Amino acid sequence: MSGVYVVAAGMTPFRQHPDTAVHELARQAVWAAITSSGIDPEAIELAYAGHAYQGQCFGQKALLKIGITGMPIVNCENACASGASAVWGVYNAIKAGQADIGLALGAEKLSGRGGGFTPMVADDLESIMGRVMPAVFAMMARKHMERYGTTLEQMASVAVKNRRGGVLNPYSAWTENITIEEVLAAPMIAEPLTRLSCCPVSDGAAAVILASERVVRRLTGKPVAIRAAVMASGRRNDVGMADDNSEMTIRAARQAYEIAGIGPDEIDVCELHDPFTIAELVHCEDLGFCAPGEAGPLALGGHFDRDGAVAVSPSGGLLARGHPLGATGVAQIAELFWQLRGEAGDRQVPDARAGLAHTVGGGVTGIEAGATSIHILTR
Amino acid sequence: MKRPVQENLFEEGPPPRLLGSRCRETGELFYPVQAMNPVTHREGTMEQVALPSTGVLLNFSRIARAAPGLPSPFAIGIIALDGGPTLTAQLTDWQDVELRTGMPVEMTLGCVRTEPDGTSLIGPQYRPAGGSRT
Repeated sequence: MSGVYVVAAGMTPFRQHPDTAVHELARQAVWAAITSSGIDPEAIELAYAGHAYQGQCFGQKALLKIGITGMPIVNCENACASGASAVWGVYNAIKAGQADIGLALGAEKLSGRGGGFTPMVADDLESIMGRVMPAVFAMMARKHMERYGTTLEQMASVAVKNRRGGVLNPYSAWTENITIEEVLAAPMIAEPLTRLSCCPVSDGAAAVILASERVVRRLTGKPVAIRAAVMASGRRNDVGMADDNSEMTIRAARQAYEIAGIGPDEIDVCELHDPFTIAELVHCEDLGFCAPGEAGPLALGGHFDRDGAVAVSPSGGLLARGHPLGATGVAQIAELFWQLRGEAGDRQVPDARAGLAHTVGGGVTGIEAGATSIHILTR
Repeated sequence: MKRPVQENLFEEGPPPRLLGSRCRETGELFYPVQAMNPVTHREGTMEQVALPSTGVLLNFSRIARAAPGLPSPFAIGIIALDGGPTLTAQLTDWQDVELRTGMPVEMTLGCVRTEPDGTSLIGPQYRPAGGSRT
């Protein structure tokens, strides 16, 4: 089987960009990937563009600014997993021999939408009636606390660790560290989650260029291999994501580890879906980094720190890098690309050899969630 | 102005009841009403039924800062209907009660959302029913 590689990455800072159009943010991210790698824009043979709310033919509008036109451009929406779905689409197109060089981009502009919670799946019955995302994750937290004794301090330590990563990350808007006490004392959003337990509203874009085995050595001397690209959707379920584990994530992760021939104990760096603090603990368990119920004490003890057993979200994650929905999954791949090449600056994970990216998207009544993705990369 | 949050979601009663579907082949209850059985993948086996109006609270959260259109503050919970499906809905009359897992609840109808033009969307809400079961 021929491999698929990441050969370039670029992104904009994730913060509020009220005066910049989303297409321009996307252009900046793609252009950063192109200029940092020297890849000819004319050599890109297809593109997938992930977004949740940016309207029809968003990818074409962004790419025409660079003069990338004429080739297949597929726009894809999978809520918070839209960007990861774009990467998965390009991976599969290259794997199938449709192209040797493909572009995955993701972008979102959430500022100027009236503030408040991230917009819901618009026509979903229980979402209309108040099943907002903070409430879902608050109930995930309550279940995990009741079942395993996970504490507020353990959850708050996730926000503290990820903020440390965000402060070191030039693509994050955050500049100041926080303490567990500050997380616990912040205004309540949805019990037991305070404002500092939730990701901020941000805008931004990210892009990665993928290449086939056939051409990769012409493009870079330091390729990063995609060893597994797995997507899954949620199975029928009447509590959605408000549970102490994610069956969908567990299922997709097992499949990805098997395809990659790499186990969870071999992952050095992980960017996972942490829109709220509790999600990082639950997903560390789902991804096999520890047993169910162990993530809380391990997090507080530094197990998932940058110099811990597995570095989780050294970028700051959704909590402290930001979460412009469609951009997030692509930004995770960009972060792993830089980490595995040793180019992550102050937030570099020492000697990172294998990385895993994980997203979850879409609150849909009747199934656990809309989508999950797992990508495993190695240097 | 007021209207149901979704057509064919509930009957007003009294007592108010949610509408669902029961499969004549398997007996399984579904909420809301289904066009076909998503478990057996068969069409034409479902009949519309009124669902039990009482249940047990499995999980809950009080939301301090509401999104536009929702009450502020409000509470939401996961409710296992007695002998029926499990669903997520707003709670009501919760302010003076210590909410807890396993608490019996009963259904009522109320405004679950206000449209930008002021229209009240009416839907199911659950209030503590007293006592405790597990």
